[in-house]
Amino acid sequence: MIPVSIQVRQALGKLVLPLLLLLSIGIIIAGQADKPLADKARMYVADALGPLWNLMSSTQERVLAMTDNLREAGRLAKENARLKAENENLRRWYDVAVSLTRENDSLKTALHWIPESAPAFVTGRVVADSGGIYARAVLLVAGTDSGVQVGNVALAANGLAGRVTETGAHSARILLITDIASRLPVMLEASHTPAIMVGDNSPMPRLMYYAQDTRPIEGERVVTSDQAGAFPAGLPIGTVHYLSAGRPVVAPFAQLDHLSLLRVFNFGQSQIEPPEAPGHVPLAPQRKPLSLPLKNLLGQG
Amino acid sequence: MMPDPSMSAWEPEIQPRQTLWQRLDAAARHMLPSIFIAFIIILFSAPIPLPGAAELLPAIVIATVFFWSFWRPSGMPSVAVFILGLFMDLVGFTPLGVSAFILLLVHGVGLYARFGLMRLHFLLVWGVFSLLATAACLLQWGLACLFRFHMLDVAPALFEAFLCIGVYPPLSALFSWVFHMLDDKEEP
Repeated sequence: MIPVSIQVRQALGKLVLPLLLLLSIGIIIAGQADKPLADKARMYVADALGPLWNLMSSTQERVLAMTDNLREAGRLAKENARLKAENENLRRWYDVAVSLTRENDSLKTALHWIPESAPAFVTGRVVADSGGIYARAVLLVAGTDSGVQVGNVALAANGLAGRVTETGAHSARILLITDIASRLPVMLEASHTPAIMVGDNSPMPRLMYYAQDTRPIEGERVVTSDQAGAFPAGLPIGTVHYLSAGRPVVAPFAQLDHLSLLRVFNFGQSQIEPPEAPGHVPLAPQRKPLSLPLKNLLGQG
Repeated sequence: MMPDPSMSAWEPEIQPRQTLWQRLDAAARHMLPSIFIAFIIILFSAPIPLPGAAELLPAIVIATVFFWSFWRPSGMPSVAVFILGLFMDLVGFTPLGVSAFILLLVHGVGLYARFGLMRLHFLLVWGVFSLLATAACLLQWGLACLFRFHMLDVAPALFEAFLCIGVYPPLSALFSWVFHMLDDKEEP
């Protein structure tokens, strides 16, 4: 240190602040006069600090990710607890189901129940059908070679889709339940009332000819009926829905507008032949049905 | 100020030669506030989404400079204030030198009024600081208007002044605790 007297040092110390103030004013003026220089100085400082800022923002991102993970873990724990409770509940239901199945089996044994034969089925890919006489029909890539016959029942993943109407060697045409030519005998599951499901080319076929004292209930399940001998009883079709008062329709379970795979079942209904009954007079086949529904349709529409 | 009764205070030239470690220790103690401000400046200019960072940074810096200027000028020399102000200008977007100028003014007021301020109650010091901070923020706003040649909105400057006033008590509590710690350490 330069040896100076205390007085001089104190005087210098008092001068530092005014000098620095003057210097800062000078810098302000210089910065205003030469803006490019100031900007260059700023850029140098920013360049030097770049890695530090980078470190900070990456740390911040990591911390954010970590908190996100923690929150996610908390959510997972909650979900896990919920699933465990649900699983316990389901396990109870599983026990109930097993015991009911056992009981059912033992009851069937006691009654000498004749078991139904398991239906044979083939699965085929659906290709769009532009030809044919039907408006709502699909073509299945499985034909007589695979054992598909006219009158077999086509099921989608969760409900009835239609019936096989024509077969080729490698393809089969399936008339969907929504086609205007489709008339199916159905049963309303809650009331066990028969009805006819009439397709009208809309996504929801209508319900007709149900008993007037037991009307379909909104949300009621509709299943097939074995009245005409074409279907086995109890295949799920859909649920009842009222478009307007007095106009019940069926909302099908199967997604008929975009079918991709169909299972074609041969329930063997045609093999069931009633035994010969000599002297039995069959009911006279009614000639009217062709005209009656039409008249009704016209009358209602 | 009470005279220091120890020998070294009476005869400043005669004292045992400091070891390197002691010298480093002393330097670190003296530079602590400056390093704190530099860290705050870097932190707030980083692309981190802190709410109101643009106003909070000058508020914290002004409060820190004022506090150390009147309690411990040895921890906040004028040169350090000048360099920190310039650094703040370079990192931020204020015209070059403006922050340095304002910080030096705040530092000067704190330095020259320190013996008056030290005797006052904390609330009074806070009142003085509030006036000073408002004046500093308005001066900054005035300089910004002057350099841009048109009137800017005064609301951000007032917001900055409010932040300044609000941030002073917690910061002063923190710094009092810090230099009590340092004082305790200094005693053998």
